Amino acid sequence: MSVLDVAAAPEAVQRQKEWNAAVAAAEPQSFWKETGKAFLRHRTGMAAAIVLLVLVLASAAAPLIAPYDPLVGVPADRLQHVFSSGHLLGTDEQGRDVLSRILYGGRLSLLAGFVPTIVATVLGTLIGVVSGMTGGVVAVLLMRFMDMLYGFPAVLLAIAVGAALGPGLTNTIIAVSVVFVPPVARVAEGATRRVVLQEYVEAARLTGASRWRIARSQILPNVLGDVVVYASGLVGVAMIIAASLSFLGLGSLPPNPEWGYMLNSLRGAIYVVPDVVVVPGLFIFAASVAFNLASDGLRESMDTTR
Amino acid sequence: MTVLLDLQDVSKEFPVRLGLRKGTVSAVDGVSMEVHQGRTMGIVGESGCGKSTLARLIVGLHEVTRGSVGFEGRALGSARKRSKSLSRAVQMVFQDPSSALNPRATIGESIAFPLRVHDVPEAEVTARVNEVLEEVGLPAAYATHYPHQLSGGQKQRVNIARALALRPELVVLDEAVSALDKSIQAQILTLLADLQREHGLTYVFISHDLNVVEFVSDDVTVMYLGQVVETAPAGALYEAPMHPYTQLLLNSIPALDPEDRHGDDVGIAGEIPSPLNPPSGCRFRTRCPAATSMCATDAPRLADTGSGHLVACHLYAGSRPLGADPEAAPRPVQIDLPIQSR
Amino acid sequence: MLQIAVRRILLAIPILVGVSVIIFGLMQVLPGDPAANFITPDSSPEQIAAIRAELGLDQPLPMRYLEWLGSALTGDLGFSDARQREVASLIGQAWGNTAILAAVSAVFGLVVGIGVGILAAVRRGSLLDRALSVFSLTGLSVPSFFLAIVLMTIFAGQWQVLPAGGAVLDEGLPRAVAHLILPVLSGSLVTLAITARVTRASVIDVYGADFVQTLRAKGLSSGEVLRHVVKNAMSPVLTTSGLQIGALLGGSVLVETIFSWPGMGLLVFNAISARDLVVVQGATLVIAVTFVLVNLAVDLVQTAVDPRLRGAVA
Repeated sequence: MSVLDVAAAPEAVQRQKEWNAAVAAAEPQSFWKETGKAFLRHRTGMAAAIVLLVLVLASAAAPLIAPYDPLVGVPADRLQHVFSSGHLLGTDEQGRDVLSRILYGGRLSLLAGFVPTIVATVLGTLIGVVSGMTGGVVAVLLMRFMDMLYGFPAVLLAIAVGAALGPGLTNTIIAVSVVFVPPVARVAEGATRRVVLQEYVEAARLTGASRWRIARSQILPNVLGDVVVYASGLVGVAMIIAASLSFLGLGSLPPNPEWGYMLNSLRGAIYVVPDVVVVPGLFIFAASVAFNLASDGLRESMDTTR
Repeated sequence: MTVLLDLQDVSKEFPVRLGLRKGTVSAVDGVSMEVHQGRTMGIVGESGCGKSTLARLIVGLHEVTRGSVGFEGRALGSARKRSKSLSRAVQMVFQDPSSALNPRATIGESIAFPLRVHDVPEAEVTARVNEVLEEVGLPAAYATHYPHQLSGGQKQRVNIARALALRPELVVLDEAVSALDKSIQAQILTLLADLQREHGLTYVFISHDLNVVEFVSDDVTVMYLGQVVETAPAGALYEAPMHPYTQLLLNSIPALDPEDRHGDDVGIAGEIPSPLNPPSGCRFRTRCPAATSMCATDAPRLADTGSGHLVACHLYAGSRPLGADPEAAPRPVQIDLPIQSR
Repeated sequence: MLQIAVRRILLAIPILVGVSVIIFGLMQVLPGDPAANFITPDSSPEQIAAIRAELGLDQPLPMRYLEWLGSALTGDLGFSDARQREVASLIGQAWGNTAILAAVSAVFGLVVGIGVGILAAVRRGSLLDRALSVFSLTGLSVPSFFLAIVLMTIFAGQWQVLPAGGAVLDEGLPRAVAHLILPVLSGSLVTLAITARVTRASVIDVYGADFVQTLRAKGLSSGEVLRHVVKNAMSPVLTTSGLQIGALLGGSVLVETIFSWPGMGLLVFNAISARDLVVVQGATLVIAVTFVLVNLAVDLVQTAVDPRLRGAVA
């Protein structure tokens, strides 16, 4: 009796049918859906995400919930401590309510974290995927140019670009985007190189599909995982770099209550109301911790799905 | 019998960088082959013999450096350049079930991809996907699932389904069962045989596993270091191999019957030479027990020794250069083992 | 090996050139006319033209770039009218101070970071590991300028234990150390945290490798096994160390400004505020070149130390 007779036996066929039915009854498990579900179960990641959500919503709702005008100060009330009556977070050196400034400032600081990251992700992925796919002279030139930008320490490049463009939050955002494009491009290129060697890409090529189609349907979805995990870790860094620039007077213009700028303007009063001076710094710190935890959570969720 | 696929003197060289110098690797050299309609051509050889490259040349993933690949008389270029009808007619099943399917696409989307590229209308796409899933023995519900939810055997069925989606005439199978467990191999091979009968398909079946090739093929081609050394109908090849390499290869298959074990201690001496610098003349001469000086100076031609059995070896007059001195030719060496017939 | 080293060095050259082009380009965009310092409201058009010609502003851009680059390569980085000194001499003075601060911060951050990382890896899963994890996370989330302010307030303000700024390095070691402590702590915390994380992950990774089982089977003690593991785990740490040093160089602008440490960072910051274009150009160039060379050195050390990296063909 040969093996083929065994395979054709009624019990084997029945077992095969049952196995097939069992798999068919299971739910489709898409990568992103599974990652999302894993993230929802990830305690620290979810906690961090909730904190971030609260910060974002509070900042967005600033006009509705801020008790005072962030730009108008009452000199007589300057330098009140935290928890003083009428000012939950105290007042600054010009008598402006710190809580209100934090709420409005959150818009600027959080924006300065998200926008450059998104811009860099889009541009960096584009450059990286094109470079990884074509591999020719264009690719080499592009990546060499990325390497040149890489030749600067991040903060220094941001300062240089920021200084060249002039102060203001928009210019800061542009500067930080420039700083982040090369590392994202590198991650994207590395992932693309790996993906391009896979057999399913060969299978797609053999149908005669155009490169653009292959990039869109085969390469991009498989590269996005790596890129998104990496980019999620950049948001906190972007925020801190932007705050650094504002702290140095090269970023957000006064009197805008960007958190970094607030830290600088309050600095002189550190022996009088140290509790107030520390407030913007704590917010930057808290947001940064939350971004890092959320990013770690995302990475761990993705790893369990793989 | 019509010749469906015709390879004439096909060569493929890859540029390679060795430190600061440049070199070329000859992956496939002067391969000529005819595949007849409705039959299965098995291609067998060790790793590095060029069979995978040959598969990709047929299917258009590489372009030939020299020679021509013809389908039904028409020339086949690279995948992007060939016409839609030719692209549809020649398809491939890949080796590794896991890496041959896009992990981020559903099974249905993977199978539908070739159809969409060929501008098949959407309604027909769904119908064809279901049709083809049924033909390979998978429930239609699988179309919404992702590759990681399926077993190895099931994924390979999906690969086959995808290859069939465009209703090709020729299917190249590159080590299509090598990554599967033996028990699953049997199922898949049976499936392939059924599909061939049902749809009148022609197969080019590539494998390093001699047993599987024997089971599946009507004709067999043996390759060594990028060249064809022997081609014959399967029965003739396995019962009376002519090329020393084929003989040694067939005898290196371990026998399961303890009483049949006398052939086990003869291996093939030496190592496979580097494809960067293949031996002059006959490429196998460095490991051939029958090699002589003629083997080093003249490359043997692939010649017909009668009834469609082709060999490239100076042991046979047809392969020797015209006017060569018969005395300089090699003599058959007693390799000391009767060829086991199975 | 030599071939690889030569190739890497050759590859660094276009990057250095690119860096200089980028710096030059950025400075051209910087708002403010370099000639503005010399032009008064009643300067005649001929005077203005003459001044511009003298400053070389009438030549085409590529020419000016090449001239600048040429001078830079011979050590002439221009003259700062605001500070009335040669830029090269300003940088020379500042570079040493930054080098000391960066070096001490790097050594501190890397050494302690590696130690913490190994400790956490060896005691994986324990309370200590989790505490160290929290510490790492905190460390890399704190903005350096915030930490600097806090430390300065506590130690130099309230308790008056340490000096509030300045670099007094030539009056004996104790005073030098006292002036170094706060800036080093502020600047190196992120390096420490990231190094600890990378080390921990790498050591855990290597512990899982097959060869470790072999070593244990051969009867090596835990300590000896650890030594082998650490040696093999150092590769990713080396990679990050290059980037960390770069981050320290870049972050020097912040730390030096807060602590009035007379280094390159403070120099750049003051120059930007004063619109002293020449100084910004020269200082940024020196910092960036240092960064590229440091990374190159780290790269070469890694290739020398890890035989696996040599096989790669470009």
